Amino acid sequence: MRRIAWLVTIVCAAQAAKWGTAAAQDSQFGVRGLGTPGRYESVRARSTGGAFTPFDPLSPLTEAPLADLAALTATAMEGTSYRQADVGGTTTSLRSTRFPLLNVAGRVAPRLAVAAGFTTYLDKSWDVQLRDSSQLRGALERYTDELTSDGSVADLRLAAASRLTRRIAIGAGIHLLSGSTRQTAERRFDDTTFHTVQQLAEVRYSGFGVSGSILIGIAPGLSLSGWARSDNRLRAKVADTTSALTDLPRGVGGGVLLAPSPSVKIGGSVAWRSWSRAGPGAFDTWSWAGGAEFGTGRTFAQGRASMDVGIERLERRGTGLTERVWTVLLGITVRP
Amino acid sequence: MRWRRLALIGAALLATACVEELAAPGACPDYCPSNQLTIVDTVLGNNISRDSAFRGYVLPNQSAVMLAANLPGVDGRPIFRKNGPGSRSRINPNDTTTGAIRSSDSARLQLYIIRRDSAATNLTLRFFRLPKTIDSTTTFADVNPFTDSLVRRPLNIDTLLAQPNRKDTVTGDSAVVDTINHRLVLSLKFDSTAARYIAADSGSVAYGIRISADSLASIAIGKGTLGPTLTWYIRLDSSNVRVPRTLGTFSAAFASTVRNPEAPPIDSTLAVGGVPSARSLLRVAFPKFIRDSSQIIRATLILVPAVPARGALIDSFTVEVHTVLVDLGAKSPIAVDATRTDTTMIHIGATDTVRIEVTNLLQFWAADSTQPTSLVLRARDEAQSFAEVRFYPSIAAALERPKLEVTFVRRFPFGAR
Repeated sequence: MRRIAWLVTIVCAAQAAKWGTAAAQDSQFGVRGLGTPGRYESVRARSTGGAFTPFDPLSPLTEAPLADLAALTATAMEGTSYRQADVGGTTTSLRSTRFPLLNVAGRVAPRLAVAAGFTTYLDKSWDVQLRDSSQLRGALERYTDELTSDGSVADLRLAAASRLTRRIAIGAGIHLLSGSTRQTAERRFDDTTFHTVQQLAEVRYSGFGVSGSILIGIAPGLSLSGWARSDNRLRAKVADTTSALTDLPRGVGGGVLLAPSPSVKIGGSVAWRSWSRAGPGAFDTWSWAGGAEFGTGRTFAQGRASMDVGIERLERRGTGLTERVWTVLLGITVRP
Repeated sequence: MRWRRLALIGAALLATACVEELAAPGACPDYCPSNQLTIVDTVLGNNISRDSAFRGYVLPNQSAVMLAANLPGVDGRPIFRKNGPGSRSRINPNDTTTGAIRSSDSARLQLYIIRRDSAATNLTLRFFRLPKTIDSTTTFADVNPFTDSLVRRPLNIDTLLAQPNRKDTVTGDSAVVDTINHRLVLSLKFDSTAARYIAADSGSVAYGIRISADSLASIAIGKGTLGPTLTWYIRLDSSNVRVPRTLGTFSAAFASTVRNPEAPPIDSTLAVGGVPSARSLLRVAFPKFIRDSSQIIRATLILVPAVPARGALIDSFTVEVHTVLVDLGAKSPIAVDATRTDTTMIHIGATDTVRIEVTNLLQFWAADSTQPTSLVLRARDEAQSFAEVRFYPSIAAALERPKLEVTFVRRFPFGAR
């Protein structure tokens, strides 16, 4: 009973990435701001640039699609990115591995499905090295600074969804934002008479958000999805002292899905997020994606397990900085 | 198909295997963290107070060396006593029968000169007999005049070193130059007149040494295991026959230095060094804004000499700065471990401002706020040189008083945007 079918995706996606909001894991663009926002997408949804995300029950962006889950399902995702950061003519190769998604969902009543899991809300891992000098004791002292941050803010979601009618499903979720980063600041002087500066701290983050979504079947094979989310503020604490309080964005989005047959899907999505609330230098963002999928994918163990492999190519450009990223994505889904 | 599937899974796992390489150059200010390390450099000119100097920590008889000097302002002379062999000695080593010591034929004195200026010419040693009653209370005046008791002809070091094999066949003196340890070992012959055996004293003898040279003369003579030793060549009474015998080597029972004039009295300046040794105590008002919320990356103690350090060039010495375990004034016990000690070299004659890096000491204070914030200045080798330096105290003019220059980093605003 092996089903052999190839999954082919065609992707067209754009991220209106402005300062502080560049999407995807780890980025030099996220050093100055809050961090690099997460994607709320499973491997399969991400492989289509997010075009099908509003309709994917395993992506934590929307809750309403959970209502159509037939069985208990768990999914996890790993992503390894290979980046080249071109800063002022100097190219540096960077690598990182993240586990940005874990989601467990299942039906608990005929009309009620729930899901719990986490995804990356903000990735805050970076390591910046600077070479500079300053006047100290009447002499020019050269030094090397290294500022690092290692950690992230996770979005712990508890969601519920219900199919109200044959055409309408709704869902809602609460989001606990929690995480920590281990940050270090080091300065090494060329003149060793000056001792090396080494300071470190563990910064803890917390926040809260709510979301809701709706899935509407317009006609057989044609669906619309809409979602909205509001997060309050991200509180950063160092040794039980609040060091920063940052307003988090509100977001709305939607998508359309056309599935003329079980093996052909065409979709598109759009999202807006008010990142400008986060403070000076941040901007609201628009993102949109379109994609098509042919085939139903490959499953294992009589349909109880599937593995998704995706490769993502990104290029981000800013004044004085260009990043080129290849990301290898691996997702495992189990239906026991 | 199974193998292709496994290969596919393996390739996926290999591609996503855990890797981490995040270090990248920054492009500031656009792509750097919002905050930077802030470094502050400040001179604490009024934070040292209630400073004073004390003398007498290491006395001349407690010093590791005997000092001989002929310098402007100080005439230093080593004195030492050797307890005698007694009135009788074994006639034969394997026989307990003893005989009375009747007289001495000669004796050989061995001296270690462990510090000397090889450029000083015509360095001459003169040996004088002293009363065997010398002890730690003996002063220069007690043994003066030295000149009355010259026991042998003066020893000119240059002349001896110029002899073939560094042996003077006429006087019986010889020398060995230890180039590894930078020592000069002298083996000097004392004839029966110079090394008289006085039965009433049981053979105890005491000597003093006076030196001179064409230029400033200053040497240090070893004590203890490197101290002067005396080997007696005597005549024993064996059945009314005087037989020659050699007695064992005798180390000095007492060794010290006398000086003229006595060490200058302590005044308002901060004295360090000399014999007996002097130390200075400085109390620092360590600002809380540095102690509590900053990281010290460099601290320098700045001292201005009130007078040039006097002495021969060979007497340049190292001054140490210590923290104290508890501030008890002159009797404050000092922390002697290397992590709480800093040093600098004091050059004879120099009047330059002395800068001593004391970063580790202030870091220690910052790490443990219960520690007393006092510093003690002392010579590393106390009472091993007549050289002494005196610094202006905290009551001096602003430009001359002791100061601390501190470079520190404020707490990085972690977590702040």
